[in-house]
Amino acid sequence: MTHSPNTPAPWWTKKLDTSAPEDLTSDNEAFLQDMVEEKYSVDSPLKEGPWERADWTPRSVRCGLICRKIGVIPQWLNNGKKFYTTLLQVADNHVIRYTPPEINRERRRGSRTPNFGIQVVGADSADPRLFKAEYLGLFQEAGVMPKHHLSRFFVTRDAVIQPGTQLNAMHFSVGDFVDCQARTIDHGYQGVVKKWGMKGGPASHGATKFHRKMGATGGGGNMARIWPGKKMPGHMGNEWRILKGLKIWRINTKYNVLYVHGPCVPGPHHCYVRVMDTILPLRKRKGDGPKPPFPTWFADDYKDQEIPEEIFDESLHRFTASSIEFEEEK
Amino acid sequence: MAASIALARQITRVNINNTKICRLSTVCTDGAFCNASLKRYSDVAPSRSDPEPDVVESHNETLSNAQAHYRYIFPEILPNPDSTRRNKVCEMLERNDMMNRRSVLEIPEFYVGSILAVTASDKYAAGNTSRFVGICIDRGGCGLRAWFILRNVIDDQGIEIMYEMYSPMIREIQMLKLEKRLDESLLYLRDAPNEYSTFDFDMAEVPHVAGDHVPINPLKVKLRSRPWLERYERQDLKGVEDLGLAQKFYDRAKQLATPWEKYDIMKQYRATVTAEDQDEVFRDIHEKQQQIEQARIVRRRRKKLQSNR
Repeated sequence: MTHSPNTPAPWWTKKLDTSAPEDLTSDNEAFLQDMVEEKYSVDSPLKEGPWERADWTPRSVRCGLICRKIGVIPQWLNNGKKFYTTLLQVADNHVIRYTPPEINRERRRGSRTPNFGIQVVGADSADPRLFKAEYLGLFQEAGVMPKHHLSRFFVTRDAVIQPGTQLNAMHFSVGDFVDCQARTIDHGYQGVVKKWGMKGGPASHGATKFHRKMGATGGGGNMARIWPGKKMPGHMGNEWRILKGLKIWRINTKYNVLYVHGPCVPGPHHCYVRVMDTILPLRKRKGDGPKPPFPTWFADDYKDQEIPEEIFDESLHRFTASSIEFEEEK
Repeated sequence: MAASIALARQITRVNINNTKICRLSTVCTDGAFCNASLKRYSDVAPSRSDPEPDVVESHNETLSNAQAHYRYIFPEILPNPDSTRRNKVCEMLERNDMMNRRSVLEIPEFYVGSILAVTASDKYAAGNTSRFVGICIDRGGCGLRAWFILRNVIDDQGIEIMYEMYSPMIREIQMLKLEKRLDESLLYLRDAPNEYSTFDFDMAEVPHVAGDHVPINPLKVKLRSRPWLERYERQDLKGVEDLGLAQKFYDRAKQLATPWEKYDIMKQYRATVTAEDQDEVFRDIHEKQQQIEQARIVRRRRKKLQSNR
């Protein structure tokens, strides 16, 4: 039963500017908005040239995306089978920073991922005036607008993406399998029946004040006490959970939306979801199939090409197509 | 009571989270706040079948008459009113899928009480299709999940089929008789004699001119004797004859009744999509809907010419 806290560690940079709101005149307000636009709208030239891109190998681990769970809608296959898909919208992602494995190893002694670099990705650009100067400093290297949400992905050395790169839904392809990780719905303090699925007691037949209780706490004798980890009432939800091996059925390139299999992606509506290539061995990309965009999908490479607005899996029914008909078996 | 109360219509503007929300409400001068005629798609009363009242204030002057009828033609196009699940991008993508499907399959305007014939693909049926004729006893669902239930009695066996409106397995939805009943849901037909639910599979289509008022069938169903599937005396059923029960049933129904609910504006607000959001939705689909209707007219004209030859 894992519960990692949702509060920032004391050594992290302080994020939100909680000073008293300044009573600015409308002129000053307009001036500040102009300053922000001036600073962030122009694409400044990179301090160093674009980084070299390596080739994908089956052992490479790519960066992931930070998406927002925007809804669940049904879709149909070409054989008429209905299933539900979760819509994950790529939330204005930019790569913020890359930390090579050497530094990672030094800082995170005893880390389970000593040979991976860390790619920090930010989601949802925000007004810089919301944040403290310390937090804004995090985005100077990348030269992007400050983000509401940051997350890190473990990547192999060859999969490094240059800070400042925008990440797109096209990073994944239709037919890929992904792992979706998010904080589950916070149910608050819950009893054992809801939290652990215990049966409780009978609703009637004379049961005296024993309907949704735990019952016995242990065995006595050699046990001698309540064992640590005994299932009891307590806080339920708001934990990191990962759902693996979800197929991407459809991608909307205009709104950067991934249609991912199933209605069960962890988290409430509008929560942030980390989406990564799957680690499941039978669903992972093999060396023989098509290679993924590596290290990511760059829009500049496809400037002259027209990208279709919707990309469908071949077995997915398109609503513009006619109704499904079964042919007579001969 | 109704005769003595002078009804005054007023538009109330409420500021919630700095968003002005327009609500059309009816204030009874005796002090009670009646929201019986709030314009919502879930209401049976205000619809194309009733003559328009003398005092009509459109909640949005720029919305055309055509768009104002969309909430009756496809009530499922409006999103789930649950505020924790609302997302404009998701709703728009779902709506695009719905309109694309509607451009391929003609889904007629229908109400609970209308008689429909649905032809669907069926791998296990003769000719790989199955056709079912029945009266629509219930409909629901938002977006692509929209469904309706058709009921018929075949060989003395009551049969109900729930169809998913946007399923690509449906090949044709034919409107045989467009009408409404006195109730929003006809689930009580399950406890009524079979005659009320029997419809001939070969029944002729009753023509209905587009734009006409939808007729209300004032039929009152006489239920079989108890036991019933539901406690109908506790439901406010208008399409059912006197149930003929002992007084104790009606007394208990009165004890359990919640007459204050119709005055609960916040409850209604939470269960409906605001007028502004509705207008946005209808404006979004208007162009596509015009194209679909135009294509339909052309198809019908072509069919008529062919049949005349």
